[in-house]
Amino acid sequence: MKTLKFLALAIVLIGFSSCSSDDDNGGQQLLDVEAETVSNLYAPQTGGQGSGEDISGEFTKFSFSLGTTTTSETEWDIAFRGTSIILNGGSSMGTIDEPARSGEAAGYIIEGTFNDIASVNTELLTQDSEEGYVLSDWYSYDPVNHVINPTAGRVLVIKTHDGKYAKVEILSYYKDAPDSPSMESEYRYYTFNYVYQPNEGEITF
Amino acid sequence: MSLNKNKICIYFSLFFSLIAFAQEVETDSTETKQLDEVIVTATRTVRQLSSLPLPAQLVSKKEIKSVNSLRLSDILNEQTGLITVPDFGGGEGIQLQGLDSQYTLVLIDGVPLIGRSAGTLDISRITVGNIKQIEIVKGASSSLYGSEALGGVINIITENPKYGFNGELNSRVGSFNTLDNSFNLGYRKEKFSVSAFVNSFSSDGYDLNANDALNTVEPFKNHTFNTKLTYNFNENTSLFLSGRYYTQNQDYVASEDLKGESDINEWNAHAKLSHTYNEKWSSYFEFYATRYMADEYLNNTDNSRFSESDFNQLLLRPEIRASYKASEKSDFIGGIGWNHETLKRTDFSTNPEFNSPYAYLQYDTNPTEKLNVILGARFDNHSEYKSQFSPKAALRYKLSNKIAVKGSVGYGFKAPDFRQLYFDFTNSSVGYTVLGYNAVTTAIPQMEANGELANIVVPISEFENELNPENSIGINVGADYRLSNTVKVDLNVFRNNIEDLIDTRVIANKTNGQNVFSYYNVHKVFTQGLEFNVNWKPSNNLKLMGGYQLLFAKDKAAVDAFENGEVYARLTPSSPSFQLKKEDYFGLYNRSRHMANFKIFYTFERWKLDANLRGTYRSKYGLYDTNGNTYLDKYDEFVDGYSTWDIAFNKTLYKNYTLGFGIDNVFGFTDTQNISNISGRIIYGKLNIQI
Repeated sequence: MKTLKFLALAIVLIGFSSCSSDDDNGGQQLLDVEAETVSNLYAPQTGGQGSGEDISGEFTKFSFSLGTTTTSETEWDIAFRGTSIILNGGSSMGTIDEPARSGEAAGYIIEGTFNDIASVNTELLTQDSEEGYVLSDWYSYDPVNHVINPTAGRVLVIKTHDGKYAKVEILSYYKDAPDSPSMESEYRYYTFNYVYQPNEGEITF
Repeated sequence: MSLNKNKICIYFSLFFSLIAFAQEVETDSTETKQLDEVIVTATRTVRQLSSLPLPAQLVSKKEIKSVNSLRLSDILNEQTGLITVPDFGGGEGIQLQGLDSQYTLVLIDGVPLIGRSAGTLDISRITVGNIKQIEIVKGASSSLYGSEALGGVINIITENPKYGFNGELNSRVGSFNTLDNSFNLGYRKEKFSVSAFVNSFSSDGYDLNANDALNTVEPFKNHTFNTKLTYNFNENTSLFLSGRYYTQNQDYVASEDLKGESDINEWNAHAKLSHTYNEKWSSYFEFYATRYMADEYLNNTDNSRFSESDFNQLLLRPEIRASYKASEKSDFIGGIGWNHETLKRTDFSTNPEFNSPYAYLQYDTNPTEKLNVILGARFDNHSEYKSQFSPKAALRYKLSNKIAVKGSVGYGFKAPDFRQLYFDFTNSSVGYTVLGYNAVTTAIPQMEANGELANIVVPISEFENELNPENSIGINVGADYRLSNTVKVDLNVFRNNIEDLIDTRVIANKTNGQNVFSYYNVHKVFTQGLEFNVNWKPSNNLKLMGGYQLLFAKDKAAVDAFENGEVYARLTPSSPSFQLKKEDYFGLYNRSRHMANFKIFYTFERWKLDANLRGTYRSKYGLYDTNGNTYLDKYDEFVDGYSTWDIAFNKTLYKNYTLGFGIDNVFGFTDTQNISNISGRIIYGKLNIQI
């Protein structure tokens, strides 16, 4: 017990001391990087999935600077509808109810663990276009259990609508992120981890 | 494991008490020597199994009868390193040295069975009622047999009649209303023998999952007819004729509203004329023809036709074989032949025809009394794919009377099948298309002209070269050790390096949002491991056998991806992902690292009763990727390892009558989710009458 307490204390102290050294660096006061988890972001859609109807329905928009969903027409970074994720940047693929893109958002998907992706490779940044959505290949479909699982080792790196950076690891597509989702699980509920770098021009997380 | 600890304890105590019992008996029995068995498959000549430089196994008629097997799949499942794997089409294929069913050649009396509509040869098609011996040769054997003999060869040798007039009736009734009847009649005198065999096999099938309208195995009925005739014109010339016919009818249910039937009809005709010219020269002229037809249909509830499909394959093969005895120590055999194959099939771009002349030569020599060397090679020319040259070398060295070491290296190949070349299939409900490799160059421009294609992913020019046969180099190194007159041990270490495995890939995107798939050579995989067999016959009454196989079967590209740290996983679908290590790669699907079998045969002479207990074990294996990284890694869900245990008793009455009783899968093991070919406990009774 005592060792544990000591360890905890040591970790806290080290944490403090490293923070302070960060603050000292460069002389300019930087904002802390924000690491958060978003749970049960609901992204409904209508039509599609063999219903014979075209996919439609409003996208659920998300803002990294707010850390929540938003209804703003312009101040959003990414938006969700079913398994589709779009960026507030580039051009529309032309599906029904796709919101207008007014920002400079871009992104890419890269292989790695969430922690390993420590900086942005700005050369890889791409915007949505008529060809398709940049952030589309994030899941795998399990044809036996008929569930959508986020593919392991895929990290979404995103340039926000106002030119800052974030990284996202999607954890679940099902309500309350069950350990073993099934066909009966309520779906289109996103749970994801993200790290947001609020400082202009900073590309590390 | 399906067995709990208590049950295992019972087994061990039973096992040891039997051993103790046996040892008591041993004192008054005379010393037994194990008979030297002969095998023809390994060299296409009659060879003593014990002197062979290749890994081989024999299953005798005695064993088949004492375990009351019905189908070839039953008995092969109990052999070391072999396991039957259910196919989604309902058949059961054999896995040998970790290679799929499509890479093992299955022969009846030395000529191949056909009818691999999706690659798998369903060995439950073959009755064991008239089998004299099953020969299993492991390791690439294309040097003698050509295509398909990539992993090994299984040859079913049918029974020849004994002298005089004789007959045998077999009847077995068991669970799931399974009824097997066979009748064998034979007659032999000096120059002439004839035999006729009839088998009928029917079952109500079984259902492991009651939630749907489908049975796991639908009811079926099949018949096998086989007749053989031999005639010796004189001491030097003899004729062999054999005809076989197999017919099966099975219910075919796709859903509650779609029902129909599937039929299989197969015939084989085999003629062989042998002549010995002098002490050195002899030859065979052989002609073989076989046809396999599979037809199925589905009807809607109003009896209108929903779908039908048919498969009709023909193989004709004349072959001349000669053997030359160069000296007491050396033999040559050589042959030339020609394979002619045709196929008519629903969803094919053409009615394809294969023509493939071939020639082979083998040199078998004993330069010293201790050393045996076999060198062989075969050349297969082919009308549709690259010609193949398949060499093989094997040697065996007798270190002492007790121990011998052996090794062999051989090339094996499997020709692309008709489906991989000529398929032209569009799924009517989903809309995707699958094209055979040779169908691409005509089908794609046509689809493009029809406006069906959005985008071509792989240019047509890539399909101008011929598709390569899947090929392998197989290495086997082993030792036979005769510990004593009663104990025999053998060990074999194997490695198969397989290249150019054929897989499907997307070659174009369709305007309907679906894809066009075709076949290409891509994968390199290997299987390696070791096999170990112990055979102990402490007395005339008792025989114990044990076998074990260790197996690593992996895809080389996957090994690289793991080594390079490109593969990730999650502990649960919704936990953060992490990088997998090299050792986290499990290997190919449906391969168990460990397989083992144990058999004990005992004869109670006083009661004329044979009894046996057999167990097989298979360790965990994966059926598909469950965590979305496309690889089978240790964080995937696995099918649990399991064991099944069978017991059988046969009591002889009045010399000619045998009554049998047994339970297969005594503990009623099933895995309803994952294992469709284990039905649960089977209790049966059997009657055998010798005439």
